[in-house]
Amino acid sequence: MKRNVCIVGVGHSDGPVTPDLSQYQLIAQAFRRALDDCGLAKSDIEGLASAGYGGMHEVAVAEYLGLTPSWLESTSCGGSSFEFHLQHAYRAIQAGDVDTVAVLYGNNQLSASGRTLGTGGGGGRGMQLPGPMRYEFPTGLTLVGAYAMAAQRHMHQYGTTSAQLASIAVQTREHAARNEGAMYREPITVDDVLNSNLVADPLHKLDCCVISDGGCAVILTTEERARSLQRQPVFVRGAAGGTTHHSIVSMSDMTRTAAAVAGPRAFGDAGIRPGDVDVFCAYDSFTYTVLVTLEDLGFVPKGEGGPFVAEGNLRLGGLLPTNPDGGGLSNTHPGMRGLFLICEATRQLRGAAGISQVEGAEIAACNGSGGWLSTQGTVVLGTEPA
Amino acid sequence: MSDVSDVDWSATPKWVVPVPNTEDREFWEGAARGKLRIQRCADCGLHQHYPRMLCSHCGAEAVEFVTATGGGTVYSFTVIRKNGVPPFNERTPFVVAAIDLDEPGVRILATMPNVRPQEMRIGMRVIAAFRAANETLGFVDFEPAP
Repeated sequence: MKRNVCIVGVGHSDGPVTPDLSQYQLIAQAFRRALDDCGLAKSDIEGLASAGYGGMHEVAVAEYLGLTPSWLESTSCGGSSFEFHLQHAYRAIQAGDVDTVAVLYGNNQLSASGRTLGTGGGGGRGMQLPGPMRYEFPTGLTLVGAYAMAAQRHMHQYGTTSAQLASIAVQTREHAARNEGAMYREPITVDDVLNSNLVADPLHKLDCCVISDGGCAVILTTEERARSLQRQPVFVRGAAGGTTHHSIVSMSDMTRTAAAVAGPRAFGDAGIRPGDVDVFCAYDSFTYTVLVTLEDLGFVPKGEGGPFVAEGNLRLGGLLPTNPDGGGLSNTHPGMRGLFLICEATRQLRGAAGISQVEGAEIAACNGSGGWLSTQGTVVLGTEPA
Repeated sequence: MSDVSDVDWSATPKWVVPVPNTEDREFWEGAARGKLRIQRCADCGLHQHYPRMLCSHCGAEAVEFVTATGGGTVYSFTVIRKNGVPPFNERTPFVVAAIDLDEPGVRILATMPNVRPQEMRIGMRVIAAFRAANETLGFVDFEPAP
């Protein structure tokens, strides 16, 4: 019989600006706080999942923390890596390969690299870039430009407007205003977004996520173990992921991501329909990322995301409260944000989100997006098992 | 904010000069000769770019270089207003487009250095233009079709 799998501990490092902390220190802070959150000891951790920049990252993390895990996972596919980690840890615990797994991430991107991500192209490596990027680099396309190109196509095909995209940033900022730890909390208007500098048409500066420092940690274990711990367990109900391309030019339909396949699979696994989701944690690298994944997951029909978001449905109290913590657009985005989605969904399902709480939240969907809309991972969490 | 990029794209800093490998030398050298060299699969008849060992559509090994007509249609585009990397930081704003070539199966990413951003439309017809990287290697740009 398959075992139920629960999230029992979550933790955040200091942030969003930590010039004196390395990525390892950020990971260690978050890990310690997640252990304290659930009451487990370091010696209880049998499995480790992590993604970072550079080879054997997860092994270095294990050594730094003094872990000798017998189960190791390091899918590294950009910001969605951690939804893949959740999927794989969930299946491994379910199958009995491992009982207790820590998923860890931390990065001091802001303090180490400044605000160049997204407009830094291939950096100093130039034509020595590996793989498909050697054909993209000499065109001068940037990361923001890749998302912009996809947004432009959606606008062309479905009549989506810049004001509709901007409304996503506005609603997310309203949520950040409730979060004392968020990077930007001053309210903004649609006009503020539209009047901010164009970075790559049609995306403005305020259509883009922040760049911050930070880390977080999630600890998963069996339901049996979870019942003996101090925290109300949050159940992993379903998970799936996939990829359609690496570089944006190879995304055959720029208005449809791999979430259109992963989402329904995860929802089917979880035994739910999109309408059952009480809170949505969307990877909001850009406003367009939210729009396209809302549609791909089936919250609205394809092409109708623009009017849906402009009606204010992402607000607390709206039809689909989205990113109550202020998201990547206003709260924190230290290089990769996927694990923060899981942390926020867990906080919501515990009913522990204070003034950011989605009342009565029982089902949360998290959708991570990595690369250039390249990889998508959907995770469904709930207060009860599937 | 300037609408027209009057920047000269002819100079290529050494870190932007292609470093051909055995797979893509034909593409970079073709561009220097004014030819857009793409691969066609003899099995399924579809095309691809960048060059690869196998057909990305059907998986066959029967890929061979052909010269594309250079005609295509803009699938999408963006105007790059900020790029932190030299020499692109000195060339903004400029247009980058994803272009469906007339040969079935292939979309290519290219700079359109000589187009006014406000003239750009999805669906517009474009044609390949060539720019030297050095004596033997080149880039494939695009420009509005006449």
